[in-house]
Amino acid sequence: MLSQGSYKGKGKARSAPYSTEHDERMWTDIYEPTTEAELAVHKRKVEDVRRWLQEAFEGGPSGALKKYRVRDWVSPSGTAKTTTIRVLARDMGFEIMEWRNAVSEGFDTNRSFTDGADASRAWNFDPATEAPFSKFEAFLHRASSCQNLFTSRAGSSSKSQPARHIILLEDLPNILHPGTQAQFHAAIQGLVASSVSNPPVPIVIVISDAGVRGEAGDDRMGARAKASEGVVDVRTALPRDLLGGPYVTQIGFNPIAPTLLTKALQGLLTTHFGGSSQQPPSREMLDAVVESANGDIRSAIMALQFACVVQMVQQGKNKKGSNKGKGKSAVLEAVTRREQSLVLFHLLGKVLYNKRKSDPPSSSATAKDIQKEKAIDVKLKDPPKLPPWFSEHERRTSRVDVDMLYADSPIDSSLFSLYVHQNYPQFTDGVEECEGVADWLSWVDSSGGDAWYQANPHCFHLLALGTLHSLPSPIMRRNQKILKPSFFECLQKEKTAWEGVRDTRGWALGDSIKQGQRRTGWSHADVILELGGVLRARDAVRVTASLPRPPTSHRSFSSLRFVFGTQFGDGLVLDEKEVNPPVEHEEEEEILAARKDVETEGGWLDSDAIEEF
Amino acid sequence: MALWVDEFRPRSLDNLHYHEGLSARLKSLAASGDFPHMLFYGPSGAGKKTRIACTLRELFGPGVEKLKIDQRVFLSPSKRKLEINIVQSNFHIEITPSEAGNYDRVVIQELLKEIAQTQQVDLNAKQRFKAVIINEADSLSRDAQAALRRTMEKYMSNMRIILCANSTSRLIAPIKSRCLLMRVAAPSFEEMETVLNYVAKRAPFTLPPEAAKKIIDDSGGNLRKAILVLEALKMQSPDLSGPLAIAKPDWETYCHKVADLIVSEQTPARVMEVRAKFYELLSHCIPPTVILKVGHYRLFEFPHLIFE
Repeated sequence: MLSQGSYKGKGKARSAPYSTEHDERMWTDIYEPTTEAELAVHKRKVEDVRRWLQEAFEGGPSGALKKYRVRDWVSPSGTAKTTTIRVLARDMGFEIMEWRNAVSEGFDTNRSFTDGADASRAWNFDPATEAPFSKFEAFLHRASSCQNLFTSRAGSSSKSQPARHIILLEDLPNILHPGTQAQFHAAIQGLVASSVSNPPVPIVIVISDAGVRGEAGDDRMGARAKASEGVVDVRTALPRDLLGGPYVTQIGFNPIAPTLLTKALQGLLTTHFGGSSQQPPSREMLDAVVESANGDIRSAIMALQFACVVQMVQQGKNKKGSNKGKGKSAVLEAVTRREQSLVLFHLLGKVLYNKRKSDPPSSSATAKDIQKEKAIDVKLKDPPKLPPWFSEHERRTSRVDVDMLYADSPIDSSLFSLYVHQNYPQFTDGVEECEGVADWLSWVDSSGGDAWYQANPHCFHLLALGTLHSLPSPIMRRNQKILKPSFFECLQKEKTAWEGVRDTRGWALGDSIKQGQRRTGWSHADVILELGGVLRARDAVRVTASLPRPPTSHRSFSSLRFVFGTQFGDGLVLDEKEVNPPVEHEEEEEILAARKDVETEGGWLDSDAIEEF
Repeated sequence: MALWVDEFRPRSLDNLHYHEGLSARLKSLAASGDFPHMLFYGPSGAGKKTRIACTLRELFGPGVEKLKIDQRVFLSPSKRKLEINIVQSNFHIEITPSEAGNYDRVVIQELLKEIAQTQQVDLNAKQRFKAVIINEADSLSRDAQAALRRTMEKYMSNMRIILCANSTSRLIAPIKSRCLLMRVAAPSFEEMETVLNYVAKRAPFTLPPEAAKKIIDDSGGNLRKAILVLEALKMQSPDLSGPLAIAKPDWETYCHKVADLIVSEQTPARVMEVRAKFYELLSHCIPPTVILKVGHYRLFEFPHLIFE
């Protein structure tokens, strides 16, 4: 076993035959890759990261780029972002200084990659004296400007140059809070602007891409008042000018490809089962796990471990072949089912391509696909014949199981309806069919009240079924591209335009009220609809003292040029790889906050960083 | 320099240019000492707010024109802060509930309660009550209207409410029945001509009758629009002679072009295109009702659609 040496060894020694396997940690921790070859990440990506790190330390080929560098890493969870950096850290011989929010967690010595005291260190400061954010600031400052005292002493004998280290920010402070966010931005900016220490300390920020949050309904209602961003993404994590600036590099990781994932899992299994008499899980089990993981290697390994654990118990209990087979499939079901979620792209494809029983297979379908479709068709029952006066509603049975869609949907129904609304016209053959879908969309929107508790609970079903019913079948293939809703872009523009309206209204009302003179109010609508001509005329004439210029922001609403062709939605094609899970961040935050409270209360006792020395 | 609409706005009931009957009634109401809650309604640009302002002056005297702007903070039920600008004098207070968005009920309740519970302390004040002007009352939510209804009864002794709305159809019946309804109709052609000439005289310049006719025809009974157009035209071509081209506002032209798009072709691709145009309109804050209305009127101009 890879990590037996550093493992605490508290695992209960059992008399069971496979006691050696009873390492209580997760396989993800035990078998964390230690060399570059073991990484399941694409070689080129690793190379990218390595090059970046080299440049950051040595100032690039020309030596001129020696400056603080911030690197941003955005990708879905479980794509081995952190692992890559750790592996490279070992490889290239630098240390990682990592920030952790949780105070009580302190120092984790049990990480498998740690072979001594000098690898990763969580810096913690006394919780009683410093506010969480100032702690973070202090960490950032000290980590970037000071050498690590303990390590340089410990490692100085072997190293000729001063120890290199990077700052790894994975557990960011709560940047969803605007105040904290501003502080965070200021801290990062200050760091970038400050002078370079020797050796330079690059900062690596790892962000798991949570996708866009599905709260279209909410936004619409509070369109004017609300500007909150619910998601941690690059834009919230780093200030905009930095993102575009020379100091920040962004590297995105794709979900891990199935082939790589399979290879990695197989390697893991051979290591795990190599020395024991245990049967490794079957090939199809492995395939199912890989398929369900959606490129998330962490979840794949977890699922695999879970599957193996249950299997072992089963084997121990009975040896009867028939029972075992049955149990296996049940396990497989339980293991893979939970994790399986449809990627948004496929969800939309399922609804919009409207496949029905005995559709001719598509030209690109493989023999396997055709087989699969036939198997589905056999299970589908034909609908009862409708009476003649309903004949226009006659459809063949749909291959789409709406209940399953609902269960697996990564987005909520309001976001789903936005996507359907954006994309349906491409899939229709005439306006009549458009009308059908539009009808259903309106119907879904108007059923139920404005408030969330009045919402129609059957929105998703109504929408999916209505769309399926109204779309033609089979769908003409004409290279449709699934677009992202332009609604959000529009909303953003509208927000800026409203600011312009408010400014202009203030200008129209403004000065006279200061003089205490009576002036009847301009409503927003008056300003928008009637003031345009005067505004343009005022812009055109030369400025005189008697004619104050209206605020320039008025153009955001008053000037509207008609251009043929579409302006919204161009080039916003939804990518197959984009996963878009609806994450209720507010709730999550609350839980997180609550947890943090608990942790701070009890924290900072035995897992202190000093403990080791 | 302020806009002409504001600068030359009549400030007392006697100076109003049209609807003399209405002015006389308002005057006697203000003098009677038994001033009711009121609801002014009529098309936009007819002079509702001007009349309200004049009535207030008649009621309280010139002190009502000493305005100040207060920024007030209200707490929504979910403890969110709402900042709202409130225009007020010693005698009245003016609110536009649509600024509070979804939380207009909270704002209305808080504000009215506060006003209702303070007595007029100025002994020289002409009236015992304070006036509350609610602009755009037809955009009040149901909740807010219900809240308003109870307050109107309860605090009649030291508060009067003056509502201002485009139409009464979106106000609930109990509110309508508690108010004295005042319809301010759009001015006629001759009345508008008088006003435009009055503005021209004050500006001062001479307004050629053809220009006046053109402006009035274009305005559709909206006096504010007419005066704004006049000001814009005057700025562009100072002598106002020769053929005048009144440019339609951008959004209107845009709506018309969208309607033309709809008529010229009906395909799914066109559906996408038209939708993109609607998004563009919405993102310029054009109210959806206006978009639909203007678009439909344009559609009616295509005769083959009507006779089909």
